[in-house]
Order: sequence, then C-alpha cells, then structure tokens
Amino acid sequence: MSSKVIDRDATIHQDAPRLKGKGTPLRERVFHLSLWVSLAVAVVFLASLLAYVLSEGWSRLDPRLWMNFPDYIDPTQGGAQSAIMGTVWVIGFTAAYCLPTGILTAIYLEEYADPDKWWNRAIEINIQNLAAVPSIVYGILGLGIISRGLGFGQTVLTASLTLSLLVLPVVIISSREAIRAVPQSIRQASLALGATQWQTIWRQVLPAAVPGMATGSILALSRAIGEAAPLLLLGGLTFITFNPSGVQSQFTVLPIQIFNWISQSRAEFVSLASAAIVILLAILLAMNSVAIWLRNRYSRTW
Amino acid sequence: MTPPSDATGGTRIPQVAFRSAPSLAGPVFEVGSLSVFYGDHEAVRDVNMTIGHRQITAMIGPSGCGKSTVLRCFNRMNDLVPSARVAGKVHYHNEDLYGRDVDPIEVRRRIGMVFQKPNPFPKSIYDNIAYGPRVGGFQGNLDDLVEETLTHAALWDEVKDKLKTSALALSGGQQQRLCIARTIAVKPEVILMDEPCSALDPIATAKIEDLMTHLAREFTIIVVTHNMQQAARVSDRTAFFTADVDDAGVRHGRLVEYDETERIFSNPSDQRTEDYISGRFG
Repeated sequence: MSSKVIDRDATIHQDAPRLKGKGTPLRERVFHLSLWVSLAVAVVFLASLLAYVLSEGWSRLDPRLWMNFPDYIDPTQGGAQSAIMGTVWVIGFTAAYCLPTGILTAIYLEEYADPDKWWNRAIEINIQNLAAVPSIVYGILGLGIISRGLGFGQTVLTASLTLSLLVLPVVIISSREAIRAVPQSIRQASLALGATQWQTIWRQVLPAAVPGMATGSILALSRAIGEAAPLLLLGGLTFITFNPSGVQSQFTVLPIQIFNWISQSRAEFVSLASAAIVILLAILLAMNSVAIWLRNRYSRTW
Repeated sequence: MTPPSDATGGTRIPQVAFRSAPSLAGPVFEVGSLSVFYGDHEAVRDVNMTIGHRQITAMIGPSGCGKSTVLRCFNRMNDLVPSARVAGKVHYHNEDLYGRDVDPIEVRRRIGMVFQKPNPFPKSIYDNIAYGPRVGGFQGNLDDLVEETLTHAALWDEVKDKLKTSALALSGGQQQRLCIARTIAVKPEVILMDEPCSALDPIATAKIEDLMTHLAREFTIIVVTHNMQQAARVSDRTAFFTADVDDAGVRHGRLVEYDETERIFSNPSDQRTEDYISGRFG
C-alpha cells in the first residue's frame, strides 16, 4: 500500500509548481535588520548609562547612603536618607490623591458620560492636552495656586498635589483604556441579571480592569518619582537633615538631592550622586517590575 | 419585592397541562403598534403580538429585520443604547413596561436574557450562578440555590466537582447552558434568548434545545433564531419578521406573520413567509 502512495506522490510532484526563488525577499530582511538596529541603539544607551552610573557610584553604595543625612562638610559621611524618605512620603501622598481621583474620573467618562454631549467631549480633549503639558508648567501652577494661593508652603502636601496634577491625565487615560477593554457583553450579562449600573461597575468592570489600571498607575507614579523640575520650582529644599514627619513637613526628594550634589565641585559629591541615582533607578525598576508582574498575573483572554 | 413564582415550589402542575393548555394565566406580553427608533431611523415598525404564558415563541426572519431589537424591548435592554427610543404598547401582565414609574432593574429580574455569544463572567462556576441572587439581595442558602439551579439546567452532573474553577474553562455549549442557568437562578418568569445556539456545534445545540423544552414547563421563553429547523422543533408559536425597504432606501423591520408554529411551517398565509421558510430568500 505504501508503494502505491509513493508512486502517486511522484507524479503529483512532477506537476507541482516550483517554489525555488531567492529565499526571503531582500526588502524583508533589510526591514528586519533595521528593527534590530533600532532596538540595539536603545538598549546600548541604557546599558552604558547604567554601567557608567554603577562604576561612578560603586564606592558609595553602602549603608552610609541610606543611614546618614546629607553632610556638606564631610561628603564621605553624607547620605541621602532624608531624600529617600522624602521621595517615599511624596509619592505615597501623590498615589493617595491621584489614584482615587483618576480612577473615578475614568469611570465617569467611560461608564456614565454621554459622548454626544459637548461638555464631555471638552473634558476629554482637555485631559488629553493636559497629558502633554511640560512638567515645569505644573510647577508654576503648584507654586502659584497650591503653595502660595492656598498657603500650603514648601511642604510634602504641596509637592504631592502638584505631582498628582502632573500624572493625573496619565492615570485617567490608562484607567479608561483598562475599563474600555472589559467587553460590553459582560456589562450586558450583569444588567440582564438585574444588577444596577453601580453593581455592574463595582462587581464586574472594576475587578476586570484592575490589572490594567494598576499597570498604568504604577508607570505614572514612576514618572512622578523621577520628576525634579516642578519640585525645584516649588522650592523643594536641597539640604535637609531630617525625615518628613507629616504632610506639613518640609522635604527633599532624590532627584533634587541628585541635582544638587552633581552641581558641587568636589569629586566625592559626584560619586555620592551616582550612588543616589542607582537607588532611584532601583526604586523605579522595582515599581516597573510590579507593573509587569501584575499585568502577567492577571492578564485575561475573553 | 415579591419574587416571581417559585420555580420549584409546591404548586407545580403536571407538565402535560402546560404544553396543551398554555394560556392558564392569560398573555404575558401584549405588544401593540410597537416601533423602535435608533436616532431618526425607525428600525422596527408597527409590531403587534401577544406572547402566551409558558410557551416558547420563536422569532425568525432574515438579518436586519429587527427581531433582536424587538426581543430587547421585552426587558428594556434597548435602554442601554442612548439613541434608542420605543414607541407603542409593550404590556407585561397588563402593566406598561415603559411606564414612568417602572424600575428597569425589576423588569430585568423578572425577564431574564441569554445572549448570542456565551458570556460567562470571568469567575468561578459557582460565582456565575450566585451573581444574580447576590446582587438582588438573596438571603437564603446560596449553596442550595446553586445546586438546585444547576440541576434544573441539567448541568449539575457535569460541573459539580469543579464549582470553584473558572467558568471560562468550560466548553462553549456548557458556557451557554451555564448562562441559561445563571438566568434562571434569579427565578424570572420569562427568559429571552437572542440566537442562543448560533455560536455552538450541533450537539451542543441539541442540548440547549432539550433544555429549552424542559424549561418551558416553568418559564415563558422567547427565542430569536436564524435556524428555522430550531424554530420548528422547539417553539409553540412563530413570528416571522422581514425588512421592508421604503422609497428612500431605508430598511424597516416588520412583523409579517405570527401564528402557531405548525401552521407557519405547513400552511403560512403570507407569500413572504412561505418564500422564506422554503429557502427562496433570506
């Protein structure tokens, strides 16, 4: 029986169209290569930056960095504890303010707002534009309205509110994307079972959207952590030898501390700044890893 | 809020009684001069029909004839489309479904719906069944209710050992039967089904049809279907819809004929019905 099959195959193959050509077309391969080159440029830059900072800061990457406060007389004994704790306080309050606000705004825009109404469209366009406003402008806003207008002064609260305004558009936009990704069929199923709109949102839409919202929010907060410009305008102090004790406290944050040390002339400060950059990058990478983990852990196929 | 008549309660009448004498409690729905608009477009025009108690009513017709639109009028799912507007009479037990003081949430608890594509919640099988009772403030024993409901939907034996696993792990046919079970867990009076088998293979379809026949002892069922054999197999009465194109080239859905299923398929009174069921158009 098998010989028969082979015979038949032989005749079929004789008449089969020829497949031989030049292999994968040249254009295809050039395109592929250019993608690799673009990727390589990005990765090489990032890697060399990391390597440089690590080599500069290696000598200072020890407990002195997070156990001690800044010391301008003897930089070898100085540390960044007040800046690290300042960053933790500022980002903590930024999250506490901008996450609820942003998520509730996103729920309104996605689930309740009628897109045919001009005011809802105006809000939407505004939010998209706000996401593109340079951070220094938010610094001016914070200085004029929050710090001076509301009289909050140069405090953790002022910094948190200003950074909240800065990242709020990003939180809103990414939360909307996450809410929109929940299929309409789930909402219909819930409503058809006699659930109210709020029950549908609370029990079906939000749980399904949480991974996406968390990912977007963490990335937004990562951006806030690295911001120095608006806080410089707010008068974030550069020489603070105590940790914040509350929202009314004065503060400094890592980017400002780094900025200040780098502008010092002594070499010890440069290595101190490099070590602080490593700490800042470590915090950022940790936050981004959590975002990636969340996305993978809870990603869903419908 | 009085729950709809207890589906498993003591007042169960032998099944034969329902199939031969379906109108024990009078009509469930009375529809008169019903039109549905999407914006300015009149998608369905002048529909008149009466839906009997514990009957299976099939709605058939070509695509775009408005049968799903009409179905969604029965539990006010059209409310969710911002531009949709309903005109005419839709009475449920002599009460205007679109009356000013009618609570659409309460409407949907009494008139459940199963959709075209199985859409279980991304939760466990148990939570899918328990969802409706939970949001409705059910106070009794949920475990019992889940078992009773799944048994009712002929799904208990297949899923009893994996109640806590995700409903999305079930096959398509099982998912759709779970969706039906989820609907009856709320103990509605009516179940609307919008092409419930169109995403399923013939074996899964047969199981759903069996389930429908079985459920018709206790529930009033209205089913939209593209499958004429299905309508002929399961339904007591059949409504045939088609779309008229007016002078401006706009399509309006219309109810052409509504009668006993047997009559629709053996001796329809309208030529268009005959053409459709004999496969000449649509």
